[in-house]
Amino acid sequence: MMDRYSKLQMVGIYFAITIFLIFILLPFFEMFMASLRPLEHLFRSPYQFWSDDFSFQAYRDMWVTVPLLGRYILNSIFIAGMVTGLTMIFVIPAAYAYARLEFPFKNLTLGIFLGVNMFTGAVLLIPLYRVLRTMGLLNTYWSMIVPGVAFLIPTGIWLLRSYLEKIPRELEEAAFVDGASRMYTLRRVVLPLAVPGLIVVGVAVFIGAYAQQFLFAITFNQQRELQPLPAGLFEFIGYQDVTWNQMMAAALVGVLPVMIIFLFLQKYLVAGLTAGAVKE
Amino acid sequence: MATLDLLSISKSFGAAKVLHDISLAINDKEFVVFVGPSGCGKSTLLRIIAGLEESTSGQIMIGGDDVSDAHPVDRGISMVFQSYALYPHLSVYENIAFPLRVQKLSQQDMDTRVQRAADILQLTDKLQLKPGQLSGGQRQRVAIGRSIVRNPKIFLFDEPLSNLDAALRGDMRVELSQLHRSLDATMVYVTHDQVEAMTMADRIVVLNGGRVEQFGTPMELYHHPKTKFVASFIGQPNMNLVPATVTGADATGLGVELPGGCQMTLPVEARTVAVGDKVEVGMRPEHVHLGKAGLEINVNVLERLGGVSITYGTAADGTRFCASLPGDARIDEGAPITLGAAPEDCHVFDKSGDVLRRRSAPALVA
Repeated sequence: MMDRYSKLQMVGIYFAITIFLIFILLPFFEMFMASLRPLEHLFRSPYQFWSDDFSFQAYRDMWVTVPLLGRYILNSIFIAGMVTGLTMIFVIPAAYAYARLEFPFKNLTLGIFLGVNMFTGAVLLIPLYRVLRTMGLLNTYWSMIVPGVAFLIPTGIWLLRSYLEKIPRELEEAAFVDGASRMYTLRRVVLPLAVPGLIVVGVAVFIGAYAQQFLFAITFNQQRELQPLPAGLFEFIGYQDVTWNQMMAAALVGVLPVMIIFLFLQKYLVAGLTAGAVKE
Repeated sequence: MATLDLLSISKSFGAAKVLHDISLAINDKEFVVFVGPSGCGKSTLLRIIAGLEESTSGQIMIGGDDVSDAHPVDRGISMVFQSYALYPHLSVYENIAFPLRVQKLSQQDMDTRVQRAADILQLTDKLQLKPGQLSGGQRQRVAIGRSIVRNPKIFLFDEPLSNLDAALRGDMRVELSQLHRSLDATMVYVTHDQVEAMTMADRIVVLNGGRVEQFGTPMELYHHPKTKFVASFIGQPNMNLVPATVTGADATGLGVELPGGCQMTLPVEARTVAVGDKVEVGMRPEHVHLGKAGLEINVNVLERLGGVSITYGTAADGTRFCASLPGDARIDEGAPITLGAAPEDCHVFDKSGDVLRRRSAPALVA
């Protein structure tokens, strides 16, 4: 039996999992703890892990301190959603072409895409700023969406291409023999079979878009109403003090919708990442 | 329904030439099987006929029209793939209806046609299931169903039974033969299994190394193989090839000496060989019998199947020999036996592997 472990091995495995989970989850836990207590408790010395007056007051106050908070959260989701949607529109046909068609410079261009991935947005901020200014996109949603899409297309193509390559070629040949066009085959045969892969790529792009919007937002956008949550959180840093507890509460609330979506998509993620690994 | 003519089809992948100048004329309503070892180019040839692959040179004619550059649908062919190539996310109904949806047929037309195909293939109660819920044989039938709804002129099968287990393969073989009869269509079938070829084909194309070795009826191939390759490929167990030396050639036939000194006079055309030449004598295991004078072999393995005893042994010079003897033959593993064969049952191949024509071969079975 390959999957039988001794007691000692089990202890070791769970110990490793625990360490890993603590490492990942402790920041969230600390955020949550910080959000629950009054501000003055946070600066107590010596630091107390447990306070006696936990409350959800910060979750109420934060909407007052930063009146546009709701808008920021929606902006965040809107921008990441738009980036994801637009990226997928470009990535799906491109990935299919790279997976199935033969054309000159195929491998070279793929290599270039990978190369582009190695630049972070930060390196290109100034040229991007000039481009966006020329196009008149500064201080609009587009100033955060367009660069987001541009930086995520290469990743998307690489991810989806490898997934599409695993779909048996014979299925497409069968459709071709039956008279289906490339687009019809893509729509009726390939994409329905690639749904787990599309979700994986969609989620990866969404995470990417969510993570990178901060940089683009503080550089390309001055309009308060358009800011996404990571930029909006700055408003908790006041002239006098920083309302850490409210900032933590706002961050948690902002991340919550995304987390819930992921919880539901989780099974697709796992299935998608391992699909095709074993012949059925 | 239609005839299919291949006019000197060649195919190269880069520098590798996989098909050499293949010309075949396949009749209307004929069931033709392409058979050969893996890598002989039989699947490539089928894919060229289907229009999935382009030939490097040559022409394909279907029903007299040149379709070399036509789309598969315009060629009027349909194809059943080795892996069935069913769409796993669509129901059996949708799988069978797929070619009709592409054609944008009316729902009513589509229903009738799918129903008819389902009736023929006994899938009527399976139409709402997904391919994943079907057995291997049923999946195969769905794949066939998808190919018949379009009423193609020619059906192409690419090793359709190789994914099934032995028992099911036997059943599907019978079903396919019946289907051929009921559809009355031209069918081209690719397989590496000579039993499938022998049992189903009207005519067989034996391919080897991208060349047609022989094209003929199963019995023609069995009794009159043109080359050593065809002779050893057709027939189960394989034909024995015993090295021999020519001792004389006259009007009565060819005199040869087998290893161990046994002399035989074989009734074949002996014009192309001379005394002293090395030839190979082919004897089918089922034509060999226990005798007093003949080839002496040492029995290594004995498989008693009841009706027959398949005997594997080696001759004095190390040639392997297989004989299909009566079920109750008195033989023992490890003991020597003497085997003989009627001279008219023997085949003779010259050094290049070509056959010397037999004079007294059995009448051809049409």
